[in-house]
Amino acid sequence: MNELLVTCTGLTKYYGQKPALTGVNLELGRGRIVGLLGPNGSGKTTLIKILCGLLQPTDGAILIDGQPAGPYTKSVISYLPDRMYFADWMKATDLFDLFADFYADFDRARAMSMCASLGVTPSDRLKSMSKGTKEKVQLVLVMARKAQLYLLDEPIAGVDPAARDFILNTILTNYNEDGTVLISTHLISDIEKVLDEAIFLKDGQIVLHDTADNIRERENKSVDALFREVFRAQNMEGGAF
Amino acid sequence: MFGKLLKYDFRSMLKQFAFIWPAALVLALVNRFTVNSFVTSASGLRQTVSGVAMLVYVGIMIAMFVVTIIFVIQRFFRGLLGDEGYLMHTLPVSPWQLIGSKLLCAVVTTLLSIVVAILSILLIMPISWSNILDMFKGFHYLFSHWNMEFTHGVLFLLEFLLFICLGMANGYLHLYLSMAIGHLFNRNRVAMSVVAYIAINALVGILIGILGNMGLRHLNIPYDLINFENSPTAAIHLSFWISILIALAGDAVYFFCTEYILRKRLNLE
Repeated sequence: MNELLVTCTGLTKYYGQKPALTGVNLELGRGRIVGLLGPNGSGKTTLIKILCGLLQPTDGAILIDGQPAGPYTKSVISYLPDRMYFADWMKATDLFDLFADFYADFDRARAMSMCASLGVTPSDRLKSMSKGTKEKVQLVLVMARKAQLYLLDEPIAGVDPAARDFILNTILTNYNEDGTVLISTHLISDIEKVLDEAIFLKDGQIVLHDTADNIRERENKSVDALFREVFRAQNMEGGAF
Repeated sequence: MFGKLLKYDFRSMLKQFAFIWPAALVLALVNRFTVNSFVTSASGLRQTVSGVAMLVYVGIMIAMFVVTIIFVIQRFFRGLLGDEGYLMHTLPVSPWQLIGSKLLCAVVTTLLSIVVAILSILLIMPISWSNILDMFKGFHYLFSHWNMEFTHGVLFLLEFLLFICLGMANGYLHLYLSMAIGHLFNRNRVAMSVVAYIAINALVGILIGILGNMGLRHLNIPYDLINFENSPTAAIHLSFWISILIALAGDAVYFFCTEYILRKRLNLE
């Protein structure tokens, strides 16, 4: 087992002529809850997609547990995308079968008990479920794995504030404690209290990566307050406000 | 892992065809009893019933093959290049396994549709038990008088089937590559897939033209090797195997190009 879980060196991604990430260097250890924070279009989703192997970087390299992206890294990553990714005719239990087949670390019993506590009936067809319920099913699939790296892309963006706590609680009570959780969001105040580390992503570059405690101690303000300061400055430079 | 992928692809195939295959056979059975009255019966009503039954049967046959093609395209376009791709491409499998599983399922589905079509025609034809008995007697005769010609006959049939499967795979891989190229564009993916399909078609046409010319004019391979007069059996085998190798080469090129795009250039929306 590698000491570092994630290593990115000089990670660069262009969409055509448009840069999404430029020269990202990042190291993540194990057993951490990390916030990937930045405004819309800062490159959060791009970074997560590269980590889980859905995108190839234009330049630079990534290693997950010492391995380049491939079937092995996919077997240790549990990814929650920002969209629904299953066929409508399936039932949640069909998806549990599929996950149990492909991921050795999927815990079916835990998935069922998570469904019970989230109020999801797993034998219902996904077609008949509301958008919020489908999102819960997807969260159950992702969190019922004992993965090394959880990549959660905006898990709380689409739900009301009451449900946010519920979802965060589900994440916190179910993740593999030797694993690392990377949560991308722009709703920092909601997750600040659970973060061990924060990464600020701005225009495709990491402008800050430190532990939450260090940030609070050094800056004498909350991560949320610092975030607002850093990204308000950007807007003023751009002259938009 | 490949086996598990196949399991899920075949399951979705069975779900898709669970209605249309049995329906085709049942309609064939209905036609078996109504088809004669179209010619023989004097009753207008019976003729109408028979005509309608035949029309519905033909309709479902056409629908079955249209659904087969749509199924093959959808499974690839939606399953690997659409939102479901987020699931499939994060499973711990390689892109070649994803494509291979889709392709194998597509070829088997098409073969099954063809088998259903043949069975349904046999069902409509007024075959009696004695016909079937005669057929088995014929087989028995052939097997009991097994000789070199019969061996070659069986081999020809197997070579032909292999060629058909590879040719079918060729058609589907052509579609896959076109869709893979189409998905590289950020807009108008379907239209670009169609453009890619036509462009590949033209390219292959030109390539075959050039290679064919080279083979015929400069290398003289077909004339020297395939000598029908001296050894017709060997010549037929050889032409089968040359066709199989050409189909296989085309399959390989399509497959590796598609695999490269999915591995290196995946561009999910």
